[in-house]
Amino acid sequence: MLRTALVTGGLILAGISACLGASDALMPGHEMGASTLTAWQNYALPDISLLRESGQSVALAPELNDGRPVVMNFIYTTCETSCPLSSATFSLFDQRLGGERDKVHLVSISIDPEQDTPARLRAYAKKFHAGPEWQFYTGTLAASVAAQKAFGAYRGDKMSHSPLTLMRAAPGKAWLRIEGFVTPDQLLMHYHELFASL
Amino acid sequence: MIAGQVIARLRSQLWSAGLCAVLVATLSLASAAPHAVTTNAAGEALYRFGRLAADQPLRGERESGVHVEGADAACVNCHRRSGLGAVEGRSFIPPITGQFLFHPKLKNPEDLDLPYIEGARVNREPYTDETLARAIRKGIGVDGRALSYLMPRYAIDDDSMRSLIEYLRQLTAKNVPGVSDSTLQLATIITPDADPLKRQGMLAVLNEYFAEKNATTRAVSPTMRRYRKMMFRAQRRWQLHVWELTGSAATWEAQLQRRLAAEPVFAVISGLGGKDWAPIHHFCEQSALPCLFPNIELPVLGENDFHSLYLSKGVLLEAGLIASQLRERPAEPGLRRLIQVYRGNDVGAAAAAALDAATDGSGLKTLHRVIKAGTAARSELAAALKGVGLADVLVLWLRPADIAALGALAPASSAIFMSGQMAGLENAPLPPAWRMTTRLAYPYDLPDLRRVRVDYPLGWFTIRHIPIVDLQVQADTYLACGLLSETLNHLADTFVRDYLIERIELMLERRVITGYYPRLSLAQGQRVASKGGYVVRFKNPSGAQIIPASDWIIP
Repeated sequence: MLRTALVTGGLILAGISACLGASDALMPGHEMGASTLTAWQNYALPDISLLRESGQSVALAPELNDGRPVVMNFIYTTCETSCPLSSATFSLFDQRLGGERDKVHLVSISIDPEQDTPARLRAYAKKFHAGPEWQFYTGTLAASVAAQKAFGAYRGDKMSHSPLTLMRAAPGKAWLRIEGFVTPDQLLMHYHELFASL
Repeated sequence: MIAGQVIARLRSQLWSAGLCAVLVATLSLASAAPHAVTTNAAGEALYRFGRLAADQPLRGERESGVHVEGADAACVNCHRRSGLGAVEGRSFIPPITGQFLFHPKLKNPEDLDLPYIEGARVNREPYTDETLARAIRKGIGVDGRALSYLMPRYAIDDDSMRSLIEYLRQLTAKNVPGVSDSTLQLATIITPDADPLKRQGMLAVLNEYFAEKNATTRAVSPTMRRYRKMMFRAQRRWQLHVWELTGSAATWEAQLQRRLAAEPVFAVISGLGGKDWAPIHHFCEQSALPCLFPNIELPVLGENDFHSLYLSKGVLLEAGLIASQLRERPAEPGLRRLIQVYRGNDVGAAAAAALDAATDGSGLKTLHRVIKAGTAARSELAAALKGVGLADVLVLWLRPADIAALGALAPASSAIFMSGQMAGLENAPLPPAWRMTTRLAYPYDLPDLRRVRVDYPLGWFTIRHIPIVDLQVQADTYLACGLLSETLNHLADTFVRDYLIERIELMLERRVITGYYPRLSLAQGQRVASKGGYVVRFKNPSGAQIIPASDWIIP
């Protein structure tokens, strides 16, 4: 009830698991555990096409609006610091969903699409044991940038990206925006909360 | 002084805001230059490849239960080869060379003599072997606080831990070759089969760039060891060594080793090759010497190589562009053969092999028609094109002299492709009869789209009266110099060869003036900066106007 009211207001902080900001994230070698900042947000989906790791061209909007809950992040395959952690987190989250995983759509969009060909994405997906519910997307640079901008994830270049997870229970609902390194258990908790709110 | 300020401003504009403002103001710590020396095989195996002393995979775990193992767990992924760390978004990966880990805490932090690393905590209690092992195993820092969530907690036996700590100590060493308090030694490499005109054009740009750099650089940068005395930028004169190779390719690597021993350099900038760049590539890897953006058409793409960076995949990219067109054009049914024509002593052989591989499974029968080196174009071409018909895809990996000689022959195939790079791009002397049917692989941005970016070096050449003999090669040379210069500004006094490469990887994507290329980008494991190209055709039976026959293609 309260959450529904908050959502209508656009970008409203709904819950702060822990403060994430320059003060701790930039502290060399130290962070306060897996700190995240969450917010509810409505996003207009851009009219773009992306390539699945299979090589199939798909429009983003119907891809995200097929009725399944969506858990989404932005990655690139040659990223050696935060992306492997984000992808391993998705992998564990997926595992811990158990039988429920077939109802969910995990979406990872490349922010380095010129490097991340469908073949490279397939290899990356295999490395993180992605099942059919977890798909990876590339495409033109312009399409990737449009997708990043649509979700407030664009930072100008791939090296400046920050960990971000987006979650939505169903088409038409607001997105839960999770900034920072979320753990698999936190992701699971957010996921169950999302469904409790439906 | 004014000129220097203008140049500094221009430079800073080439990169987006952010790090730049801080780093342009970064000052000199002249002689404390670390250099990676790797004599500890067990430590290196753990640091770089995630292997423990007993040849077991390294395992790590974060408090959330996320595991890493083996090469994915290796320190190098985040802390990099140099050990000097990295910045990724809001995540800061600290330097972990011995110099940083074990540095004693000083009463006055301004007395520290550590090299500049953006964001590094430079004045804390030093680690000991025990506290460092605790940090690596349990994730507890020297100050008793938990380390970053990004840092896994590693299961490491005592022997492996000793090796690792020893390796980290060694990761800091002194006396980087080619760097003195006043001068940075740099080389460029030219193979004997390089095009003489391109050689002249490249050297004119390099000499002018170095002369101008030195004209605006203080003769000797003050030897500043203390932060509080950092009043000047870490500036050094650039000295260029032109390493011209002679004889057969089999002798080049030994020649280069002798040159490097006689004239130690910090890095190799630009360069010019012909058919074979592999010996130079191999030399750079063996010597752990950054070799930055040579002018070559056939780069070497070693999966685990680190020290050679290239602007483009050259003819290998062109092969990919042509293959992509062939895959997307089932509209030309009945094509049965793929006939590739090239000179025996040129890069066409490798390009043709790449195209064969990329079209494997297409059902096309592949044929190579090789023209002997040094033979007259006309008769040899006629022989090479004999029997080519409408059911054939014809691919020409030929230079302008051969292309011009096609005039005596009629284009028999309707699916003709040629290497734009080898033929002279839009200035290729393609005879009128061939113009409307031939498509060019074009591994650059289109002329209209790159105009503003190329106008920048073009203006620079014109003002300085540099004869333009090959604009693309000269613009790429200028680009290479600009990338080195700007990266060195960001390195400040941290002259470490691996770190130079790592900083280029980090910063390249922010470059706006990218000359012939729409965009440049690198990362760990990425060694080629521009990834794609077009297929184009001539607009008219004469003239240099081209129009795209494809979108931007990433093969």
